[in-house]
Amino acid sequence: MAEGGGGRGETSDKAREEFFSEAQELVDGLGRDLLGLDEGVKAGRVDPELINDVFRGVHTLKGLSGLFGATRMAGLSHELEDVLDDLRLGRIDVTPAVLDLLFQAVTLYAQLLAAQSGEAPEPEREVEDLLLAIGQLSQRRSGGGAGVVAHYELDPGLLGVLTEYEEHRLRANIQQGLALYRIRARFSLTTIDSSLDEIKRQARPLGEIVTYLPTGSGADADTIDLEILMASRASLQTLQQAIVGPDLVIEDVARRVDPSVRPARASAAARVASAETAVVPAEAGATSAAPPPDNGSVRSFVEPPAGPKKDSLAATPGPPAAAGSLRGPGLTRELSLRSASQTVRVDIRKLDRLMTIVGELAIVKTAIARLTDRVRRRAADPRELSIELARLNRTFERHLAQMQSGILEVRMVPLGQAFDKLARIVRQISREHDKEVHLVVTGADTELDKLIVEELSDPLMHMIRNAIDHGIEPRDERLRVGKPPVGTIALNAFQKGNHVVIEVEDDGRGMDHGALVAAAVRRGMVSTDEAKELTQGEMLALVFMPGFTTKEVATDLSGRGVGLDVAKTNIGKLGGVVDITSDVGIGTKMTITLPITLAIIHVLLVEIGAHLFAVPLASVEEAIVLHEDQVRTVEARELLTVRGTSLPICRLARLFGLPPADRDRHGPFVVIARVGARRLGFVVDELVGQQDIVIKPLGKSLKGVRGFAGATELGDQRIALVIDVAALIEEVLMPGEVRFLAAADDSGRTSVALDARRRIGRA
Amino acid sequence: MRRILVVEDSVSARAFVRAVLESPDFANRQGGCEVIEASSGFEALRLLPRGPYDLIVTDINMADINGLEVVRFIRSSAHHRATPLLIISTLRGKHDVERGLALGANAYLPKPFTPQQLDETCTRLLSVERVRVGPNEPPPGGP
Amino acid sequence: MAALMRARSEKRAARRAGETGRRVEYLAFGLAGETYAVQIAHVAEILRFPPITTVPRAPETVLGVISVRGKLVTVVDLRRRFALPPAVVDRKSRILLCDVGTGEQIGLLVDDVQQVWRLASEEIEPAHVLGGEQASHVAGIGRPTASEGALLILLDLRPILESP
Repeated sequence: MAEGGGGRGETSDKAREEFFSEAQELVDGLGRDLLGLDEGVKAGRVDPELINDVFRGVHTLKGLSGLFGATRMAGLSHELEDVLDDLRLGRIDVTPAVLDLLFQAVTLYAQLLAAQSGEAPEPEREVEDLLLAIGQLSQRRSGGGAGVVAHYELDPGLLGVLTEYEEHRLRANIQQGLALYRIRARFSLTTIDSSLDEIKRQARPLGEIVTYLPTGSGADADTIDLEILMASRASLQTLQQAIVGPDLVIEDVARRVDPSVRPARASAAARVASAETAVVPAEAGATSAAPPPDNGSVRSFVEPPAGPKKDSLAATPGPPAAAGSLRGPGLTRELSLRSASQTVRVDIRKLDRLMTIVGELAIVKTAIARLTDRVRRRAADPRELSIELARLNRTFERHLAQMQSGILEVRMVPLGQAFDKLARIVRQISREHDKEVHLVVTGADTELDKLIVEELSDPLMHMIRNAIDHGIEPRDERLRVGKPPVGTIALNAFQKGNHVVIEVEDDGRGMDHGALVAAAVRRGMVSTDEAKELTQGEMLALVFMPGFTTKEVATDLSGRGVGLDVAKTNIGKLGGVVDITSDVGIGTKMTITLPITLAIIHVLLVEIGAHLFAVPLASVEEAIVLHEDQVRTVEARELLTVRGTSLPICRLARLFGLPPADRDRHGPFVVIARVGARRLGFVVDELVGQQDIVIKPLGKSLKGVRGFAGATELGDQRIALVIDVAALIEEVLMPGEVRFLAAADDSGRTSVALDARRRIGRA
Repeated sequence: MRRILVVEDSVSARAFVRAVLESPDFANRQGGCEVIEASSGFEALRLLPRGPYDLIVTDINMADINGLEVVRFIRSSAHHRATPLLIISTLRGKHDVERGLALGANAYLPKPFTPQQLDETCTRLLSVERVRVGPNEPPPGGP
Repeated sequence: MAALMRARSEKRAARRAGETGRRVEYLAFGLAGETYAVQIAHVAEILRFPPITTVPRAPETVLGVISVRGKLVTVVDLRRRFALPPAVVDRKSRILLCDVGTGEQIGLLVDDVQQVWRLASEEIEPAHVLGGEQASHVAGIGRPTASEGALLILLDLRPILESP
């Protein structure tokens, strides 16, 4: 095997850093693709592009690890690549059992990377076990159907440049009855990337592009001619209407009119013999079975159960070692979900902003240089000088602050990064325990500092393990109590006030307070007397104590005490808290609340009484112009009729006690906000615009002030308070005690103090 | 000064090849070495007019325009017909290597390869007076 | 009870200062015609009057928030805190950024900033000696011998910072 670096010392260090970064990205991408494949398999569709993507990923990893001396990783990749090649060339079927092995491989990759950077021991045994399992996959090679390509008038020159994979795809498409088309187009070399993206986008729904062949001689340095070979069930007319571009022509690839040649697809026997058709059922070149990229929308993955269920996909008997026995070794070693890579993917716009600030700083620097010069030449009047310097200092300070928050912004990553890894864990654990679990994720685009997201991966994993192990009941038990056979785990992330809340909720057994206390007493964690004094909440919180488990039988990892105590400690280190609520027979919910020390949110800037405020867009449905004639007052509450429904409104200028600005306004406007099922229209004077902002917490001294989640600096020292939509909705729509307090006491300070004390008590 | 075009879609693999070709060892023997990187078949096409190149190294399995198409394009262009061509492949890609050689590539290196192997192969390709631009046979014993 | 304990420890500190001849530095500032002072060790920074953003429904004594190098700081109007007539902000107004270890810095708006006095223990009269009911925020009276007739109202920042 190759050894990386060797005599090429320092250059290897940088390349090695890039290795970790690229390897981590590849492994993450593999995980995502496998999840997509898994979902497709469950739905009865296999996306050949996904298989190819996984193949390419492993292929690249193999090359990478070989170059950098990660021998075990290279060896594993080598074997995996063989399997994946067989999969994509149709020699092996894609079954859940095969996917099991692939998922395990991803987990092993993560461990191997950690071992490479010295953070964990090498998982020698696990790799060997997996390699054994992979070796058991027997391969039925079937080259069948090579003849079909001959039915089309394809330039032998074209055929000669197809890679083995591309040839396979071509054959597969023909065998399924898709027609071939040739798209000839000319591109400018400077814009070819975007032009091609456009064509890909137009073509994707209609079929599969087999290859792109550059024609021409390369004599012209500005343009390039491409011949794009595409398979599709659509007619030529449909394609010509859908795929358009300057210098673009689509034509059929003519079939040879030789009557003696019969298409293989007419022969049923041929179909059975060819493993290729067994893999891809029906669906005209329909591409992605994978869900669209997550943008905060709900994603769901359904985990198939393990066990010897008949595999409905394989039309032909698959490899003898199918289903059960292919399930590789259960990974008993605890692993961390943390990335091996210390790098962060950065949105280039954030970097652009930083560069702009650097530019501003350069201007300040020049001004200081000029001043210095004047001082030296004694050409400066002292008073003028001090004014000038003071002004420069202020400007400098401002830009420095912007730089600081800009750099902190760069560290922000979406929680989805941790959630993706958790989806894999859910699949793995549910198969280990033979339970069907459905994972629902919301709020994956909530952003937090990268380190925090990394630190959260493991606690969340422990919680999910606990939910699947102790919470979700086996299928039969669920059916008996009238629950759907598939259990659900919901992973929600959202912002609340100046905190980020992450919920892990399951619809399983729930926790029995009595059993918990009994187990705790048995373990000597609490005395019988103390046990009597515990509140319900405290009883549930017992699960966070070290070494706690209610199962007498040690199962897998649970027997060692699931690690919820570690989870709680780690969350505590981040400044957060964990709460737990549970109902027997209904489910359990664990809630992590983290203070945002720094978070970026998208907001709508509005003006209320000459002051700027920010409304988090996540809570905004829409903003409309307020027509006073549409407002009715019902029982002291103002209601606005919007498209036939009544919307309660709140005039923020009045609520905040702010006098109106005395200049021409376009408004007033109503910003329709929603939290859960409750809607409220905030009346503001002006809509200023949308922006990404960094929200900072208000000091402790302002803790009693209701309605603000924090504030943000907008540049030139202007500050906009960020509105806590949930708090205001609660205050306005459900007056209750809070309003009573405020009304009952005129002296603002006392009521705030009272409120503050209540909050402390409540917390 | 030798100009070498490297076509490879993996960032770190490119970094590795660059490290070898720009190392004092190799570069001095060649009288200086400039490495130009292309991360895809398209980029290779964009960079070809900026030749001439003394050597072109290309991976085969790349998305969209694959390495074989790059080889064919190079061999059909007037400017680069005679440029030494090295294809990088996986050991298993026998079919692809055969095609590559048939299209006119002059040598192949299966991954993973050592810096030594890359050095030797490139040195050899850069030292020949003329390269065969017609189909090349795989060496006896197969790739 | 707490006030008594505090007074006792201050007296001890003052006595110690007197014994070693140590002087404590106080920053004097003007407020509604009177001169007040706080220990300079508690003043992190003095700011000229930056734009203050109002915080609706905050306590009366809170003027708003300002940004200091990216951090948000609450600004308290000392006049309102001490029930003095409201201020007219002019060029001489300053914000004292104060920190007594409560974990949060608070900005205090004052009319102007004067000089730093180094007071020896003999020059300080602790509050409990003054007799009568003193507001909790008054720590004592300073009479610098160096300046005839000068009188400084020494402030205890803790109660002010803990409940603005």
